[in-house]
Amino acid sequence: MNFKAAVVLLGVGSLLAGRPVVAHHAFSAEFDAEKRVKLTGAVTRLDWTNPHAWIYVDVKDETGKVATWGFELASPNGLMRSGWTRFSLKPGDVVTVEGARAKNGSNSANAEVVIVASTGQKLFAGSAPAQ
Amino acid sequence: MNRWFTVTAVAAIVAALSPSLSAQWPLHPQPGIPKGPEGKPNLSALAPRTSDGQPDLSGIWMRSIRTEAPGSQPPGRPPLATFANVGAGFKEGLPFQPWAAELVKKRANGLDNPDALCLPQGPLEYHLDPQPREVVQLPHKTLIIYESNYGLRTIYTDGRRLPPQGEPQPYWHGYSVGRWERDTLVAESNNFRGALTDQPGDGWLDGRGSPFTDALRLTELFRRVNFGRLEIDVTIDDPKAYTRPFTVRVEQEIVADGSEMIEFICHENQMFLKLTGRAP
Repeated sequence: MNFKAAVVLLGVGSLLAGRPVVAHHAFSAEFDAEKRVKLTGAVTRLDWTNPHAWIYVDVKDETGKVATWGFELASPNGLMRSGWTRFSLKPGDVVTVEGARAKNGSNSANAEVVIVASTGQKLFAGSAPAQ
Repeated sequence: MNRWFTVTAVAAIVAALSPSLSAQWPLHPQPGIPKGPEGKPNLSALAPRTSDGQPDLSGIWMRSIRTEAPGSQPPGRPPLATFANVGAGFKEGLPFQPWAAELVKKRANGLDNPDALCLPQGPLEYHLDPQPREVVQLPHKTLIIYESNYGLRTIYTDGRRLPPQGEPQPYWHGYSVGRWERDTLVAESNNFRGALTDQPGDGWLDGRGSPFTDALRLTELFRRVNFGRLEIDVTIDDPKAYTRPFTVRVEQEIVADGSEMIEFICHENQMFLKLTGRAP
């Protein structure tokens, strides 16, 4: 690939990344915006499914006990339009996720920020519940 | 500063802020898009026309995210509706009948929102959903395919009249017929299901649950003002739910970069009922 083509493609990538990713559901029926969570762990699964993609993360507490948490992302359509794919994250990647916990008290949350621990890269930007 | 250093640094910053190149959704720009002097789509070019001379509404459209303060629209123009609240542009709100105002309060928990339940949305929810919709204008009918929640509307333009109320089974999308008045497609619809079925998801005009009923007579004026812009003036005439008819405007923008509709099978991994305690 020549240099000009690379610059053009990078520009296209940035335009796509700038598209807003919007949530699908009635956020407040499922999640409590006041119940904040920030958890770090290894990804066990990424479900690239409608109406929302989900990532599952094994989180260790201070005693070493592991609990699996599920984090809701935007729809695959919205994520794809922003340039993300089901290969953007793989099992074993360690991530820190911030978001709002499910109202039902389960180990589920809506992910607002997903950061790869080793690189600091922010993934799936725009999964927050804006409609 | 060295030119190559500058270019490389800019490219590195852009790369760091962007998803990987391999992650990009492929673009398939359509032929016939008018271009400006720099080769970019000229969205203010004239609207295309079909072979029979009518404006061609065909294309993939995204809602405009433009908003305006209530009551601030120019004189004579309907206020803008929003996905969350079709009455957002009215200072005094929507003219609800008393039971309809009570129903909006009950719906505030969002549990019966058709959008969340993966059921068909109301006509204005479809027009204003953040997902795209594709208009396919054919000689005797116009189809609107909504990416969200399985939406497919047929607006018959073959000269037929609306069926009598109650003759076909009530439709989620209503029954629609259209005619051209100069450059405006006038679509009229009746025979909606509506909120009085008491079925979850029925009769939501917007995200907060402003209702419509089986008495809704919907009139939509579609006007493609130029290549890039579609305006839809929507009149809600539903005496069961509202004390008077009202009209709102929807603005949509053409998708000209070659991105396309994407399959959206909403029930694939529906977690809404589980997270709201209504399914194991």
